[in-house]
Amino acid sequence: MKTISLKFGVKMTTVVLAAVLGGVWLAATYRESGSRAILLPDRVMTLFPDPKPLTDFAFTDHENRVFDLSRLKGKWSFLFFGYTHCPDICPTTLALLARARENIAKSTVGAKDVQFVFISVDPNRDTAGKLGQYVSYFDTAFLGVTGDNAQLGNLAGQLGAAYEVKITPGMENYPVYHSAAVFLVDPRARYHAVFAPPLDAEGISRRFKVLRDLEGPKAI
Amino acid sequence: MRWRHLAGLILALTSIAAATGEAGISVRDAWVRETPPGVAMMAGYMVLQNNTSRPQVLVAASSPGFETVMIHRTIVKDGLARMVHAPQTELTPHASLTFAPGGYHLMLMNPKRTLRAGDRVDITLEFRGGLVLPVAYEVRK
Repeated sequence: MKTISLKFGVKMTTVVLAAVLGGVWLAATYRESGSRAILLPDRVMTLFPDPKPLTDFAFTDHENRVFDLSRLKGKWSFLFFGYTHCPDICPTTLALLARARENIAKSTVGAKDVQFVFISVDPNRDTAGKLGQYVSYFDTAFLGVTGDNAQLGNLAGQLGAAYEVKITPGMENYPVYHSAAVFLVDPRARYHAVFAPPLDAEGISRRFKVLRDLEGPKAI
Repeated sequence: MRWRHLAGLILALTSIAAATGEAGISVRDAWVRETPPGVAMMAGYMVLQNNTSRPQVLVAASSPGFETVMIHRTIVKDGLARMVHAPQTELTPHASLTFAPGGYHLMLMNPKRTLRAGDRVDITLEFRGGLVLPVAYEVRK
């Protein structure tokens, strides 16, 4: 496996080149010695060379508070789109993100600057009360949010996430398709990285810790 | 409970033996994921082993514990997760097929009672040719 060493100053340029040449990535190990980081090619996390600032959107969280762009500022946010009637991939992903959060919480920096947000694409069935009950089962620190179709489409579009809800009259369990990826927004509310399935908790937390160390205070 | 499972198992083994004349199909690591309160959609997982020398096809599943049981598969295509009905799931001879999160699963709708980690729930698998296999699934968190 090819190892690329780089200095902090040229990091993003290198990431751009790497992303262009190699597909994508991640920083798998990080050494503080001499301000050098080691980036290894990786399929788990795709880092964006030029994180895209997100624009405003308006959701409501599971405590009926406004959840808009300002709620993404000052924290790293892991975002996952799904719905509570989802038997397989949503509970699997949320359980895994709960383990990832636990790993991050155990690190020196902790998880105070990190939030996990479950975005329901099925506001028809997922009320604030249901969302609260749902997300807190996995982790009491998790947030559940949803909004109308225009607002869901707005944020999904900005992240390149797709979803489709096929509400069918008389059909209780209508099909819902949604993005299986986990999106990472940095504390400046920029779309910074994406984790593609198959996901694993250790893979996510390890990579996130490296990324957070690399970005340091400048991301805030 | 235990005796009922044992009786079911004996019945299953007998019917497999009768249907195939061989050791048939075995199931291991059968579990159902516990769900958050108020959620009526669950998923069941397992490893199916086809010990016979011919393909076996899982065609249905049913359970007294749920209103509906369906064989589903989560497919992630172009980053989009969707569930598709998988009513004809073939097990190749002398091979195993794993039902696991993010792939094949039994979709379990509207449980008749609240299932918590540690509980057991019976689900009967039906194969083409009339083979039936009752399996006890453990509810896990």
